[in-house]
Amino acid sequence: MIFGSWVCLLAPLVGFLAILLAGTRITRRQAGILSTTSVFVGFAGALVAFFDAWGREPEERGELTTAWTWLKAGELEVGLELLIDPLSLVMMLVVTGIGGLIVLYSNGYMAGDDEERRYFAYMAFFVFSMLLLVMGGNLLLLLVGWGLVGLASYLLIGFHHERASAVAAAKKAFVINALGDALLALAFFLAIAKVGSLDFGVVFEAAESGELSDTVATLVALGLLGGAVAKSAQIPFHTWLPDAMEGPTPVSALIHAATMVTAGVYLICRTHPVFEAAPEVQHLAAILGLITLLVAGVVALVQWDIKRVIAYSTMSQIGYMFVGAGVGAYGFAMFHLVTHAFFKALLFLAAGLVIHHLSGEQDIRKMGGLRSSMRFTHLTFLVGTLALVGIPPLSGFWSKDAILASTLAEGGVLGWVLYVGGLVGALLTGLYSLRLYLLVFHGEPAAQAEAPHAEHAHHGEGPRSMTIPVAVLAVGSAVAGLLGIPGVWHPFEDWLHDVAEPLVEPSTRQEWLTSGLAVTLGVLGALLAWRAFKAGRELVPDGAVRTTLEHKLWFDELYDTVFSRPGQAIAVTLRDRFETPVVQGGLDEVAEGTLRGAAATSAAQSGLLRTYALAITISVAVLALVFLVVR
Amino acid sequence: MMGPGIPWYLAISAMLFSIGVAGVLLRRSPLIVLLSLELMLNAANLAFVGFSRLFGEMDGQVFALSVMAVAAAEVCVGLGLIVAMARRNLALDVDAFTELRG
Repeated sequence: MIFGSWVCLLAPLVGFLAILLAGTRITRRQAGILSTTSVFVGFAGALVAFFDAWGREPEERGELTTAWTWLKAGELEVGLELLIDPLSLVMMLVVTGIGGLIVLYSNGYMAGDDEERRYFAYMAFFVFSMLLLVMGGNLLLLLVGWGLVGLASYLLIGFHHERASAVAAAKKAFVINALGDALLALAFFLAIAKVGSLDFGVVFEAAESGELSDTVATLVALGLLGGAVAKSAQIPFHTWLPDAMEGPTPVSALIHAATMVTAGVYLICRTHPVFEAAPEVQHLAAILGLITLLVAGVVALVQWDIKRVIAYSTMSQIGYMFVGAGVGAYGFAMFHLVTHAFFKALLFLAAGLVIHHLSGEQDIRKMGGLRSSMRFTHLTFLVGTLALVGIPPLSGFWSKDAILASTLAEGGVLGWVLYVGGLVGALLTGLYSLRLYLLVFHGEPAAQAEAPHAEHAHHGEGPRSMTIPVAVLAVGSAVAGLLGIPGVWHPFEDWLHDVAEPLVEPSTRQEWLTSGLAVTLGVLGALLAWRAFKAGRELVPDGAVRTTLEHKLWFDELYDTVFSRPGQAIAVTLRDRFETPVVQGGLDEVAEGTLRGAAATSAAQSGLLRTYALAITISVAVLALVFLVVR
Repeated sequence: MMGPGIPWYLAISAMLFSIGVAGVLLRRSPLIVLLSLELMLNAANLAFVGFSRLFGEMDGQVFALSVMAVAAAEVCVGLGLIVAMARRNLALDVDAFTELRG
């Protein structure tokens, strides 16, 4: 198990370093193959570890392995250690499995790009960082992975560095993620101060035994939540995710849908004892998730960029996961994470096929009628859409409804609010998903759709390296949900049961009731979208509401006014009042003084040997006198 | 201890050193300047040997020997320079060479 895990972690790192060091000695194609192979080798390692763990008793599935003591400062000792348990194994399989498919897809999607080698090096680097995040055996290593995935995300969003908007989006993502990292780090500092360790076991034991005071537990949980919210693009730190769609589409699929943005959910599940010691914060996570899922759902109704619609849908689905984790249904939250990774990666990759087919067009107003010209893409996109809406027996149906049923089991005011909100979210999901699907694939073929770019015309919908991953993901999206059927079997939940014991267990009756309601609402949303599409109407009529939605509820403008502008004003003031006169002025003074001193010294150098000798003699004599007198 | 006491040695050493300094500062011929330098070095040697005798330790004498070796090397270079100057028919006057800046 341990060996497989190390292979899994190190293979992508080796791939990254190999591409980096080989430079231009390998072709772009070889770089792609290298990157893909390294991630699939990682997947093989994860599989080996998984089957090893599967064969063991449930209590013996967790294992901590320490390579060496990495850092020692006084009492604090942090090892370079990996924690392999059912939770990290699930994440390892998702990251390397779906990651491998997406990197394979990139071989076709990025073909012909000038900087393919850089792209594939970054992709392998991202997979390594993400694995470090989920396998790290203590909070510090988790934070290292957390920071590295942020870096990889920054590099890949800004991959098209010649485009100013991509650079701005990368910067935005990095700054907001850095804020989350800082909150996370503050929580860890507090944990070090109060517990004296960053080991999972020690911190969790302190949280469970009540050794931490309520205030400390709340603050630590708040810091963890802040990090999770920023990384997972939940309100209020969500503004970076839609802009992050500036990156290449496979990047959006891998980082901004399937893996990195779900790290927040993983974090809450991993550190659940801390959250359970601070129930208010855990409920706050659920409430933030609910707000995000509703806001993202309505904003998605009016977006015109195919990738942005899917991005808002991602935020919304992660909102569901936060709701699940917030009421303590960790198994279901992780279940939704896995199924979401499948169908959201599928949607992004299928959208990538469309974009590729239309030579980079992303505006859905210029699409339409692609059903006949792109049969394969149409079918897979439909599978992804239906899985997202939660139509049985596709995967989204099982996982989303399980989360909603858990909120029902939670009960109380909070449980009911979450339940009703989640059901409204299901309706919204049906609306925006079908709107996107219909606008892209149905109706009158748009001019561009009829005449695809000449150079793409010869290979149909895309090269095989692109269609195979999409097909695999479509099958996965269809069947992944069968790992948890209420009342029949739930191997996925059992698998995670010992790591993160759920706080709520919905009854079978609650699950089926919820499923019925959610499916009805989802189908209702789909039908409404269908009717609006047939009538040629927009889902949201023109007016103040639509304007507000088109401006994404003014979040960007708000942050601009509250944080960005004052920040710039302070910077400009400091430059004018302090830097220019004091720092720069002071430096000028020093430079001028040096010049004057140099002129005086050089004048003393006359070249007359005897003058020098006299100077030396007098100096020595004076020194000798001083020495004698002072002594 | 036999012979004159340490003050005598030091007095002679100081006189020799002063004569050397005066020679370096006042004379313009490079040959004389070199000669005066030798005087200063040997004044130091005399002090070394005097103290060596006073304390009965060999360190001072070893130092004197190494100073002699250095002085010999220095004279080699100095005389070489003077020969080179004479060959080019340059005036043997240290004040005439003010352009030799590094």
